[in-house]
Parts: sequence; structure tokens; C-alpha cells
Amino acid sequence: MQGWIDSLIRGWGRDPASWPWTQLVYLAFMGLFAFLVINFAAITAGIFSWAERRVAARIQSRVGPNRVGPGGFLQWVADAVKLLTKEDLVPAEADKVLFRAAPYFMMVGFACVFVALPFSHRLVIADMNLGIFFILAVTALIVVGIIMSGWSSNSKWSLFGAIRSAAQIISYEIPAGMALMIPVLLAGTLSTQGIIRAQGGWPWQWFVFDNPATFAAFFIYFISALAEGNRTPFDLPEAESELVSGYNTEYSGMRFSYFFLVEWGNMWVMSALATTMFLGGWQIPGISAAQLDAMTGGRAAAFELLSLAIFAGKTLFWVFVVMWLRWTLPRIRVDQMMNMCWKYLVPVSFAAVLFVAGWMLLVRAAPAVGTVTHWVMFLAAGVLPTGFFVHRVLRNIRDTGDRFDFTSNW
Amino acid sequence: MAENVTTARQTPGALGAYVKNVSNTAKSFWEGMSVTLSYMFRKPITTQYPDRVPVPVRDTIPPRYRGFLEVDMDICTACQACERACPIAVINIDILKGDGKTTPKLRMERFDIDIGKCMYCGLCVEPCPTGAIQHTREFEGAVMHFNNLTLRFVPDPLVPAVPYKPPKGSDSFPRKSLGEITRQLIAAWDAPPPPFPTKEQLEGDKGAAHGKPKPAGLDPTAMGRQLAAKALQVKEDKPKLAKVFEEAMAGTDCGDCGYADCKGYSEGLASGKDFSSEKCAPGGADSKAMLETILVSLKSGKLPEAPAAEAPAAEAPPPAEATAPAAAPAPDADAEAKPPSTPGDPGPLR
Repeated sequence: MQGWIDSLIRGWGRDPASWPWTQLVYLAFMGLFAFLVINFAAITAGIFSWAERRVAARIQSRVGPNRVGPGGFLQWVADAVKLLTKEDLVPAEADKVLFRAAPYFMMVGFACVFVALPFSHRLVIADMNLGIFFILAVTALIVVGIIMSGWSSNSKWSLFGAIRSAAQIISYEIPAGMALMIPVLLAGTLSTQGIIRAQGGWPWQWFVFDNPATFAAFFIYFISALAEGNRTPFDLPEAESELVSGYNTEYSGMRFSYFFLVEWGNMWVMSALATTMFLGGWQIPGISAAQLDAMTGGRAAAFELLSLAIFAGKTLFWVFVVMWLRWTLPRIRVDQMMNMCWKYLVPVSFAAVLFVAGWMLLVRAAPAVGTVTHWVMFLAAGVLPTGFFVHRVLRNIRDTGDRFDFTSNW
Repeated sequence: MAENVTTARQTPGALGAYVKNVSNTAKSFWEGMSVTLSYMFRKPITTQYPDRVPVPVRDTIPPRYRGFLEVDMDICTACQACERACPIAVINIDILKGDGKTTPKLRMERFDIDIGKCMYCGLCVEPCPTGAIQHTREFEGAVMHFNNLTLRFVPDPLVPAVPYKPPKGSDSFPRKSLGEITRQLIAAWDAPPPPFPTKEQLEGDKGAAHGKPKPAGLDPTAMGRQLAAKALQVKEDKPKLAKVFEEAMAGTDCGDCGYADCKGYSEGLASGKDFSSEKCAPGGADSKAMLETILVSLKSGKLPEAPAAEAPAAEAPPPAEATAPAAAPAPDADAEAKPPSTPGDPGPLR
């Protein structure tokens, strides 16, 4: 966004390099973007809370919240108002300073991710050349917030939840980081926009179908991201049957709502990251990034919106998959969770990185292999399973004598 | 994945098990997610209870559902069989007695059912001779005021309900359509609660709460002596004697005595086959006292003396509006006068 602000200053007839107020303008825009990003995160998290409840209800043959606003859409506003008006309790034996500070650490670790996360072709707060590294680094701040909240609550349930969460996040950082290294290897850059530009608009140009190792890496990243976001089936830190509610047991009111804001907002973050790294980001099919760069005026704005819609569409689909998984899978045990990370995801992710490194040498020697593999992977791992899956779902509906009905009883 | 599974089966071992675990994970995701997604695209089976339903939920409940009770006062015979059947004293009926000439013999100045206490066992419905008391399919008991949960089928005690006299031998009775009356009473539930009595009212009612004097009540002792005198005159004429006995009874033909109707019981007494004076439940202590007076005078051949001397000798209950504690020693509890129905009375403090 710095280039855009510079051009704005030039538009006022000043030179950004020598004008003394340049830094102040930067500061003002930083404040504005921070405000916009945090509100975007809060509002999407709220909407996801409603969407998740409706999805959960439909999967369980229920109706879900549908009274507040059209289709119950304003339910999240009602919930937010309720949470904000509740009393902010601090337990008598708690470490009061840390207890109060912990939710803000969570919020900071969560909101900082949006700095490097792209939204569309031009819309990214800062297209850092260290984008992915930055995202992985600030996400670690969430662990600090969780440990802080668990320890300062002075409650055994909170502490257990916090320790579990910390163990889980630190373990799964490794496969997640390794899996994210693979698109970095392929694109040759850590910049999020650079990685998207290295892919194409059509599905067979996406990194996920680049070769078998990237396909595996996509799922390794997705599973690890679920675990890092404390989402089912990895929601052990919040296992209510054992830990009441985990690290946020003692929280109430607005501070409690921060934890949930982060949890639901994380669904956007992890899905947007998956879209960026493996699924072609905002790339419009049939139009290259260079063509988009060359556009000006209304045409550029229209295609900008189109790229935004494509990015948001892919991200929301994976947000839906996260919800869908939550209402499909039971919670796994701690030992299973650790087994899965250290015995399966970590070795496979390392192998995948090595495989991709070798693969790149092979493709450089014989480029035709790469093109053929794109198509084979797209058909064998993308189209065929999707087709079989749709067939399977329709058969499940038909076999019970029911029918596809998504319009009645809302 | 499919090829990997085959390999694992052919060469079992550490690597085979490892690969098999991975493929099992993928397969169970595949299965589970296809099932949950297929449910997402179907119509939810839940109904949106109070309002967004095609027909009222009440009408979708099975017809024999035991909801709120309803009494059709037009065919209630005031036999009080339901009140006696109720194991937890939910039903409260206050009977007002008359002499049968200037005023009806029995009138009901209260017929209350405390829905808040009812356990919906249905025992009150079974003994009802006319089917006046029935379960409806009403079930929505959310009220603003707890007092409103009492259904008052005699809305005004000053206008007591006259019991229904069923035609002899009939087995069907003109009942209002089920649910109408209770629905009307429920509609009044949102009305403000009855006013809390003032201190003066409480003080004023304190004395009345115990004795419960009935306006236009009858004196069973005096009437018993009258009937006994009549009985002595017609001692030999059994049908006429039976008529005298029948006059001492409540006359609801409830069948609680074991006979088909009041006529059967009085004929049994007149013919000397039955000596029990305690079987008329609706008549309560009054009928019992009167029947006893008649029986005693028939046996001894003369009218009993003044009531004060009479009572201890015949072990008759105390005269005039016998209350439960006094009559309690009598063995046949079924025919006992029931205690004044204050315990279950949810109405304003009295």
C-alpha cells in the first residue's frame, strides 16, 4: 500500500521523499488500515459464528438461529451486544494484570496476520518480501496469549487447556511451516503476492496440482492449520467434557468474546492462507497478472473487484469445509493428536519438501514433465474425486428416500 | 490410496500398517464428510414450534394425549368422583346443599383444577359417569402469574352451577367439543392477577376460613328427623320407604355406592339388605348423618331424642356441617366427608 500512498502524495503536488509530512500521512493511513482490518476481522468472525451455527444445524437436521433479521443473519450482532454488556469478571485469586492483558495478545497476534494477507490483486496492506515468514512469526503471539490466560486465571482447567494448546500449536507449527515452504520453493519468494503471481488462474496452474508432493502438502497444511486454530477435531484445549472450557474458562463478557473472535477469525486466516499458497489466490482464469497490472481506470476497478470476489469465494469455501469438518469428526485424544503430528505429518512434510526440490530440478531439465503432471494431477486428484464425492453425496440422499431440498423450512 | 491398501494387506508390517493408517484416515474422512454433507442438503426434520408450523402443534398431538383437564359443567353431575380419585388433591369442588324444594339439592359453587399441580395421571377421567371431565390437547402452561394456572370451571361462586341430571339409562351425553372451554379459560391467562387482599379483608376472612358457613345451607339434623318421621309412617311400604331414603341422598346417580343409581341404593336400604349409611359419597357427611338417623329410628321404632343426647349414643358425626377432623375416626374413609379443601386452594389468601 506504500506505493499507493506515495502516488496519492504526488497527486497533491508533493514529493514523498522530501516532503516533511510524509511520515505523518503514513501514520494516518496506518491507523486507518488498522481500523479497517480489525473491523473486517471482527465482522467476518461474527458472521462466521452465525454461519457455523446454521451449517451445524443443517448437518444435524435442525434449522438453527433464524429469528433475528433475515434468516437469523443478525444473530451475531445480538450475541455481540449481549457479550459486551456482560460484567467483566476477574477471579479474586487471578494474576489481574496478565489476566486482563491476555486477550489483547491474542487479538494482536491474530490481527497482525492481516498485514501480509492479500485480499485481491492490488489490495494488500503490505506486500512484504518476508510475508509468509511474518505471518508464521506473529501467529506465535497467540500461544503467548493462550499461556498467559491459562496461567493467570489460577484455575486448573484453564492451565490444562493452555498447556495443551501450547503443546499442540508448537507441535503443529513444524508441519505447517514445512508445508508452506513448498510453495515458497516453487515460487522462489516469501511474498504472498509473489506466490500468487507464480500460479495461474486455472485450477491446473495452481500449486496444489503441481505435483503429488504439493497435493500432500496442501492437506498437511490444512490439518496443521486446523490444529493451530484449535478447531475440531483438534479442539482439545477446549474439551468441555474434561476442561469446562479450557483456557478461557474464567473469562466473561468482552474479554471472553475476544477469544471467540480470534477463533472464528482464524478460520478466515487459515483459509485465506491456503488459498494464497496452494489455490491460486485472486488469479482470474484466462487473465494473467501482467494483464491486470497494465489495466487502468474503470476496467481495472472492475477486474479488481472480480479478483477480490474470486479470492473471497475460494476462502469462504474452505471456511465452510472447516465448519463441515467440525460437525463431522469427533474430537481426537491427546496421544492421537501428538502421534498424528510427529509420526505422520512431520515426516511426510519433510519428504515432500525434498521431493519438490528434486522435482524442480527434473522440471528444469524436462519442462514437458511439469505440464503433463499438472494435467494428470488436476484430473486424477481434482476432478475425479470431486465427481465421485458429489455422486456419493447424492446417492446418500437418494438411498434414504429423501430428496435434495435446500429451500424450505428456513 | 487404493493401491496402498492392497500393498498393506499383502505385506503386513510396520510400513504396511503406517500406510494403512493413512488410507484409513482418508477413507473415514471421505465416508463421514459425504454423510454429513448429504444431511446438509436435506430438509430439516425439526418443526419451528410456536409459530412457523402449518397447523397448530396442539392439533398434531395424538388424540389421547393427556393435556390440561377440562370440565363441561353442563353435564357434570356433581358426584365428586374425580375429586376423590385425584391422588394429589388437584381438583377442588365446593358443594352447596339445598333442601331440594326452594333451592336445588346440590349446587357447585366452586370447581377448580390446579393445572400447576396436576400430574396428568388421568385417574379423574375414569370414574366420571358422564364424561364431563376429560383431558384436552392443550399443553402450553407458560403464564405471567402462577395463580392463573388454576382453571375455574365455575367462574362465579355467587352463581353456582346446577348439576346435570342424566336421563335414566342413557349412555351418551351432550358434551361440548373437547378443548373449547379450557381454551377460553387459557385465553384469560394473560389477564392481570387477582388483586392481593388488603389487610382488612384478611382479618375479616380469618374467622370464615375455618367454619366455611354456607349461605342457604341445610340442617342435616332437622331434615334427618323429618325424614325419619316420614319413614316411620311408611315403614311397611317398601317403595315409599325407598323414596324417603333417596331423599337423604345426593341424587347424582354417580354409582359410587356400588349400586347402579341412587334408586338401587335406597331400595337396598329399604329392603333391609344393606345397613351401611356411609356409601353416598357425593352427599358426604350430611347424607351419612341423615341416613343414619333414618336407619336408627327404623330399628328402634321411634324418633331419636334431642340431637345433643343422640350423637354420642349412635356414634353419629357431629351435627351441622361436620368437619373432617371430627369425622376422622370412622373406618370407611372412602365415604368420609372430605376435608375442607384449603390445602390445594391456590386462590387469594382467605
